[in-house]
Amino acid sequence: MRYPKEVVLKDRSEAVIRPLQKDDGGMLSRFYAAIPDNNRWYMRHDVTDPLVIKKMIDSIGRGNVFSTVALVGDRIVAHASLLMRGHGSTQHVGRLRIAVLPGYRHKRLGTWVLLDLIQYAMDTGLNDLRADFVVGIEDNAIESARKLDFFKVAVIPEYVKSPRGIRYDLQIMVKRLHRTWADF
Amino acid sequence: MSSSQPAESARDTRNADVRIRSFCSAREIGLLKFNPQFGAHAQYKSLYTRKESLEQIAAQPDANVTLAVQADRMIVGFGVLAYPEPSERWAQLQPQVMAEVKAIEVARDWRSKKVAGRILEKLTSHRSMEEKIAYMVGYSWTWDLDGTRKTAQQYRQMLIRLFEPCGFIEYQTNEPNICLKPENLFMGRVGQAVDEQTIQAFKWLRFGIDP
Repeated sequence: MRYPKEVVLKDRSEAVIRPLQKDDGGMLSRFYAAIPDNNRWYMRHDVTDPLVIKKMIDSIGRGNVFSTVALVGDRIVAHASLLMRGHGSTQHVGRLRIAVLPGYRHKRLGTWVLLDLIQYAMDTGLNDLRADFVVGIEDNAIESARKLDFFKVAVIPEYVKSPRGIRYDLQIMVKRLHRTWADF
Repeated sequence: MSSSQPAESARDTRNADVRIRSFCSAREIGLLKFNPQFGAHAQYKSLYTRKESLEQIAAQPDANVTLAVQADRMIVGFGVLAYPEPSERWAQLQPQVMAEVKAIEVARDWRSKKVAGRILEKLTSHRSMEEKIAYMVGYSWTWDLDGTRKTAQQYRQMLIRLFEPCGFIEYQTNEPNICLKPENLFMGRVGQAVDEQTIQAFKWLRFGIDP
């Protein structure tokens, strides 16, 4: 795949998508520091922890994770990862995680980043993509995924807790990566 | 483009009986035979199933119809470069800067013999192309996946490998038809004489933004 990929957002600003690089640690830390607390709460790891960032950087090129970043100038404004097991019964499934800076949401950046990872997943021969969303918190992301043919496969009721203890449903969405156009 | 003289080459194809001829006129095409494999198959239909369609395009201003022709005057491959239809997004860039590679097709029996690469080279190597932005749109539902026994993604990669040597690169676009499927493909080749203002306008156009 050709990188960097140049995209123009709804507000005419321009971003560049490229794979995460070994020297991106500082920028990635600053990116996650700018993500609001109430967004970070729902992430799988504590991204304010330098060791978590180090682990992300260390995983570059190891095969089980492919990460990209979207940059505006020299600032990371989105970070996306495709996680692959590489063996066993779910080796055909890739799991997606995407974070976008608040100022760059609703500008189609998330869609471009997601589309790029879908293409990467297809290139690597994956069959399915999975993404989990918190209903009521990540509704815009659910809608974006739905537009890219992700569909709801399961909901775990009241599975997620907010910082104040309010429970939310976790929605699991899957996209099938068809190998032919017969589904069209 | 059409002011050019027809150019012919028999090099680089594994079968020397095939000649690649660019800027074919409607009259020339009329004298040739059309391989019946350019037709309807079980799960695929050629973009051009009649020789007359190629003749009509060859008669258009600045169009380049490049043919791979066997010794017995049978057309076994063709490429079509022409301006986009006025209703298409890509026609908005004026004055007529963008030219579309509308088709590259090789008869099933003649595939994997590097015919398509030679057709594309002839199609895009004319000096006037340096003043143009050539582009191709790959809609996965038009691909002969059955005949090539490839998945859509493999076919997509094959197209990238075919077009890249001729200077095409993959571009992102929000053109709705291309966005219908992630395996669809949009590639472009910006000629060296295209000015910065036009390159910038091409970028806006790819994302549907009025300058």
